[in-house]
Formats: sequence, structure tokens, C-alpha cells
Amino acid sequence: MKEIINLTKLFINESLGFSLFFYNRKFNKKEYYKQLFTLIIVPVALIPAFFMYVSLMSATYFGLTMINQTSVFLSIGYIMATVLIIVFGVMYILSEFYFSDNMEELIPLPISPRKLIISKFLSILVFEYIFAAFIFLPILIIYGVGQGMGLFYVLLSFFVFVTIPVLPLSLMTALIMLIMQSTSLKGRKDMLQIIFVFIGIAVIFGVQIWFTSQLGNGDEADFQRIMNTLLTNNEGLLNMIGFAMPTSFLMAWALNKITLMSFVWVIALLGITFLACALMVAIGERVYIKSIVSGKIMKKGKRLSSDERSKALIKKSHGAMAVFTMDLRLLLRTPVYFFNNVSVVIIAPLCVWISFSFIQIPPEDLQGMQDFFREMPVLVNFLLIAFFIFFGGTSATTATTFSREGKASWLTRMIPVTAKDQIMGRTGVAILIQSLGILFTIIAVQSIFPLALSTLLLTIILGILGSLPILLFGLFMDMNRPLLNWDNPQKAIKNNMNVVITLFVGMAYTGLLIGVSGLLGYFVNSILGYGVFVLISAILSFVFYKVINERLESEFLNFES
Amino acid sequence: MLKLEQVSKTYGNKNEKAVDDVSFEVNAGEIFGFVGPNGAGKTTTIKMIVSLLAPNSGKIIINGIDNQENILEAKKQFSYVPDSPELFEKIKGLEYLKFMADVYQVPTAARQERIEKYLDIFEIKDAVNDPIGSFSHGMKQKLALVGALIHDPQVFILDEPMVGLDPKASFELKKIMRDHCDRGRSVFFSTHVLDVAEKICDRIAIIKKGKIIEVGTMAEIREKAGSQESLENIFLELTE
Ligand SMILES: Nc1ncnc2c1ncn2[C@@H]1O[C@H](COP(=O)(O)OP(=O)(O)OP(=O)(O)O)[C@@H](O)[C@H]1O
Ligand SMILES: [Mg+2]
Repeated sequence: MKEIINLTKLFINESLGFSLFFYNRKFNKKEYYKQLFTLIIVPVALIPAFFMYVSLMSATYFGLTMINQTSVFLSIGYIMATVLIIVFGVMYILSEFYFSDNMEELIPLPISPRKLIISKFLSILVFEYIFAAFIFLPILIIYGVGQGMGLFYVLLSFFVFVTIPVLPLSLMTALIMLIMQSTSLKGRKDMLQIIFVFIGIAVIFGVQIWFTSQLGNGDEADFQRIMNTLLTNNEGLLNMIGFAMPTSFLMAWALNKITLMSFVWVIALLGITFLACALMVAIGERVYIKSIVSGKIMKKGKRLSSDERSKALIKKSHGAMAVFTMDLRLLLRTPVYFFNNVSVVIIAPLCVWISFSFIQIPPEDLQGMQDFFREMPVLVNFLLIAFFIFFGGTSATTATTFSREGKASWLTRMIPVTAKDQIMGRTGVAILIQSLGILFTIIAVQSIFPLALSTLLLTIILGILGSLPILLFGLFMDMNRPLLNWDNPQKAIKNNMNVVITLFVGMAYTGLLIGVSGLLGYFVNSILGYGVFVLISAILSFVFYKVINERLESEFLNFES
Repeated sequence: MLKLEQVSKTYGNKNEKAVDDVSFEVNAGEIFGFVGPNGAGKTTTIKMIVSLLAPNSGKIIINGIDNQENILEAKKQFSYVPDSPELFEKIKGLEYLKFMADVYQVPTAARQERIEKYLDIFEIKDAVNDPIGSFSHGMKQKLALVGALIHDPQVFILDEPMVGLDPKASFELKKIMRDHCDRGRSVFFSTHVLDVAEKICDRIAIIKKGKIIEVGTMAEIREKAGSQESLENIFLELTE
């Protein structure tokens, strides 16, 4: 038991980098204060989002009280939490079990595989509990307070909460272990990871699509009626999802009304959870270590003849182009990077397309909407611009550009490439990805709302220009505090505060910029609106560019100290 | 060719200097060996030369260019292979070499010829189309060496180059180093293999706890030590 706890601590420490934090507290005060600052600022920055979530949930609860349907409240929360835990869990499971390097050191030690598996699982679980606390605790509390529940509810809901991340995660882990050991996947792990994640997303989409199709024919456009349809059909709806997640029934029976039977259901829930864990450990003991030991096989290319080699070297590229190509290759070939930085430009337009195709808008409404848009092109244009900036801002590609190189970053800092080429190459990758997002969005939108070529040109140019300051800000952040000492590429992104900071600053900036220039454009003059937009973006981009260009070379000297 | 003037460096802890007032000069056409116990400051010194770390004080001149005043020009004068080269795992060998040729702006004919030549010497021709992640430690080191030789640098800087290379490769590397210097360029490398240092170096510096305690040709060092012993014995005495 003690060994398991120690191992778990080790894994958590490794993924958070606590040791370095405490080392810095003693020996490197400057770095320590930087880390402390982000440790404080990030939770603070998340408070508004959490507050919004809680108020949304409270509103939903009150909405349900009005139509006497509170019984579905807990189920909705349970299902939502489970789905989210699965989606985010897949990445954690893969990276902790299969993509972290610590197993190579641990396998030779006299530790039983069971203990390794349990501790790895526990170290993932700790994070998922924190996550579940944010998602599911408010739901339990809102319901409990709303229904005036007593002590037994508190006790029982505590046990339900304990089971919530364990069950889906242990089943996912077991499934992943089984798939990862199949011989046909050897040497293709990278691709597999991407596929996995996309399956997870596909599941959400499946639920989503099916959800919307349950809403009926969509001619009842107003929200209240949609809610009504949803809830009067809720038996069918929840039963459907419930069959995929049978434990949601147990949870609902146990907590909706506290009776003597509630205790039985909670005990059943705990029992099932325990069985799932045992199953996962049993499967892991059989397959996990074996598949790790069989080695990380990388797919090799075919041998090249001397002519082929020479041919590959003929073309000379400019420094910026060389940096661009290298950055892009790393991004596309490392699954974690691909998922975090590139997939959003596929998923978001897909969401747009799916919602357009499933919410069937009757022709006369569509006509009306199109007329409405035609009357105020400024607002539509700014809406589109905001959406396009979203792709530049959210992918945070530049905010991890140096961090992604990790221990190989010495190469980047040693070669004689000008700061200008570094900036152009790295920002270029971000713009390329953003452009893909814009392209896919346009394809998705075009079928419903055909846009004029002039509108497209205007919004694309302003969208890219408007995101440039965010991209450069990200680069600026990563230049100042890159995260290089990782052993698992997941950390370059997930533990990287630059991503969070860039995201928040980017969102705030976009809101302000679009707000100010949109209002000016709408109330005063559209040319003025666009003009202000262009001016602000151009000035900020220029300033960031100058600062980075000036400082990059000397910042490179600080990466290791 | 390479000149250090009173270079000092402290890491986080202010009282302990990792490199303490180090000065020496590597002349053109010279193989210069840098020896010293573990933690003496060899890697730190090299990292300051190759612009991976900033010295706290002192000057580093590479082929006449101050590497704090004109970093970019200074970077063009050398190439560097670290003690265990971490390279981009997902990139193929040949892609890496092309990248190096591009950033050093090596003309097409020269890059084709040099890459072919060194791939041949180090016998990694068949692996260049594989991702670097699939290379063995020694293969990675060989690839880094090829990448460093593409632009035929004025100063060739290596941190413990013999560790991890097979006997044939280290023999070839020594030949390349000699050949490099015969063309009027210089080689600066750190090593723990004193036999090698003694045999191939024109001059040697011994560093201990961040300070240079001895610098000169083998003969000069022997003379100072007042003995005809091997470098190994002198080293053990000096670094006691
Ligand atoms: N990143 C760092 N942070 C703090 N101290 C460091 C760091 N890197 C090196 N040091 C310290 O600086 C001193 C010199 O280290 P350096 O790596 O230069 O030694 P070395 O001569 O290359 O040793 P070796 O022969 O083992 O490679 C050592 O005391 C070491 O502890
Ligand atoms: Mg060293």
C-alpha cells in the first residue's frame, strides 16, 4: 500500500514538476516567483468561467422546476460529467500509460506490475477528481439545496461522487490497454492516438446529433418550446443514453429521492465501480507490461539510393522556410500537438456544419434571416471575423512553439537563423492552421448562407490580421518562459501556462477589439469600424514584432538558466 | 580563431562559480583539448561559446567576431555537437540534414557532396530515411556530426565526442578532426579520454572547479609538471 502511494506521488510529481518548483524555491528565486504567480493567476482567471457554469446550471434547475421535471437534472449532470471525463481522460490515459518514459526505468525494479498499474491509474484519477469536482459537485449541491435534502443525501451523494471518475476511466483504460496490445497496431502508435481521440469526439457528436434529432423537426424555433419537447420526451432520451451508461439509472434512483432503497443502489454503484477497477487491473496485468516491453517501435522508411538522397537535397530553402517546415512537421507528426493545435480547425467547422444540417430551418425563416443579415452586413462581417480570429487565438500554436521542441531546442538556439526568420516561420505555421480553419468554416457556411466574394475577402483578411497580435503575443510568452524540460510531449502543452495566458489575453483582446470596432462600424460608419480594427491590429502586431525581433537572440541565452 | 577572455558564469547559486575567470586561445590549424573532472565546468564553457548560455562576465571571440555583440555572425563561424545530442525524434535523418544545410545556406553541390561523404564515413546511409527517434544513441551522435560538418565550419566544437561512438567511428572522427585543422581551421573538444587528448591534441587546457589550472602543448605541460609521465598521471596529480 505504501509503495502504491509513493509511486502515485512520484507520477503526480512528475507530471506537475513539483520537484523543480521546490528546487527553484531554494535556488532560483526568480523562476520560483514566476511559477508561483501562474499558480495563483490561473485559478483566478478560471473563476468567471466557473461562475458562468454554476449560474447556467442553476438556471437549468429552475427551468426544470417550472415544468416539474427536476428528476432529470441529476441524470443530465451525471451523463455530462461522464462524457467529459472520458473525452479528457483518453489523453491522460494514453500519455500516462503509453507515452511517458518513466516505465523504462520502473520495469527493471522489483515492483509488481499490479502496483505500477494501480499507481498510474490513481495519478490520473487525482486530476479527474478535481475536474469532476468542478463539473459535478455544483450539480449535486444545486439539486440538494433545491430539494431541501438532508444529511443522508450528503452522505450518499459523496459516495456517488467518489465513483464518478473511477468507473468510466477504468473501463476506458481497460479498453485502451486491449487495443494497444494488438499486434497489428505496433509501430503505429502515433496514428492510433489520434484515432482514439477522434473516436471519443465522434461519441460526443453522436450524442449531440441524436440529441438534436430528438428535438423534432426544428420548426419550433423558440427555446422554450424546444426545452418542452426535450423534456416531455425525456423518458426516451434519458433511457437511450442511460442504456449506454446504465449506472446513471442507479445514480438517479439513489439520489432523486432518498429512501431506504437509495442505500442499496449506492452500494450497487460502489460494487460495479469496484468490479470495473478489478477488471482493468486484471487486464492490465495480462497485457500492459508485455506491450510496453515489446518496445516503442517506430515505423522506418525505405532505403534511399544515392540519387534519391541527392534529389532530396537539391532545393535550397530560405531560413524562414526551413523553420516553418520543421515546426509544421513536428506539429503534424506528434499526435499530442496535432490534437491540441490542429484538430480544432477541423472540429469547429464540423460543429457548424452539423448544427446547420440538423436544425432544419424552414425556407421562409431562412429567407428572413438572410434578409436580416443583408441589412446589417457590418455585424455579420464582424461576427465572421471574430470566428476566424478564434482559430488563430485558440490553437495557441505560437504559445508553445519553443516548448514543443523540448530538449532538442538547443539546435534552434545554436543555428544562425535571424530573429525575423524565426518569427516568420513560426507565426507562418499558426497562420496556415488558422487559414485551414477559415477555409473549412467557409465551406460549412457556404451551403446555408452563400457569402459574396467581397465579404469573404474582407473577413478573411481582417480575421488573419486581427489574430496576428495574439499569435505574436503567444510567441512573446513562449520566448520568455518556454517549458523545455519534459519527457512526454503532453506536458509541453498541458503543463504550459503560456497556453492559458495566451488564451485568456487573446479572448479578452478579441472581445474588446471586435466590440469597439463593431460598435463604431454599426453606429457611426462601417469604414471607420474596419479602419479602427485594421489600425489597432497593425500597430499591436508591429509593436510585438519589434519587441520579439529585438529580444529573441538574447532570450535564447536564458532558456537554460 | 577562438579566444576566451576572463569568462565567468554562475548558475542560480551566487556563491559558486561554475566557470571562473577562464581565458585561453585556440589558434588556427589547432586541435585543442579541454579536460577536467566531472562538474569542472567544461560543458558550461562550451555552451557559452556556442551561444546557449550567456556569460556573467568576459568576452568570447570566434574567428574575430564577439559572440555577444554579433551573435548571428558568430554562430556562422562554428558548429557544435553536444555530449548527447537530443534531436527532433519525429524528423527523418535526411530532413534534419537538409534543415542544417538550409539554415547555414550551403550551396546545393556542396551539401550533396559533403552529406554523401560523411554519411558514407559514418555508415548511416541506410538509416537516413528513418525518423531520428528510431536511431540508436551512437547513430544520433553520428547524424549530429554529419549535420555539423555540412557547412565546413571555421571552428568545430564538440563536447565529449568519443563517448558512444564505435571504434571505427571514433577513428574516422579523429581523422576528420585532423583533416579539418590541416585546412587551417580549428577543433575544440572536451574529453575524458586522456589517451586521445594526448595523442591528437596540439594543445590542451585542464580545468578544475571552474578554473583553468594548466594550458599548453603536451611538452609544455610535462615540463611544468617536471615529469615525463603520461597526461593521465599528470592529470591525476593536478586535479587531486
Ligand atoms: N543547469 C544548471 N543549473 C545549475 N547548476 C549547473 C547547471 N549545469 C551545470 N551546473 C553546475 O555547474 C558546474 C559545472 O558543470 P558542467 O556541466 O559544466 O561540468 P562538466 O565539466 O561538463 O562535467 P562532466 O565531465 O560531468 O560533463 C557543476 O558544478 C554543475 O553542478
Ligand atoms: Mg559535460
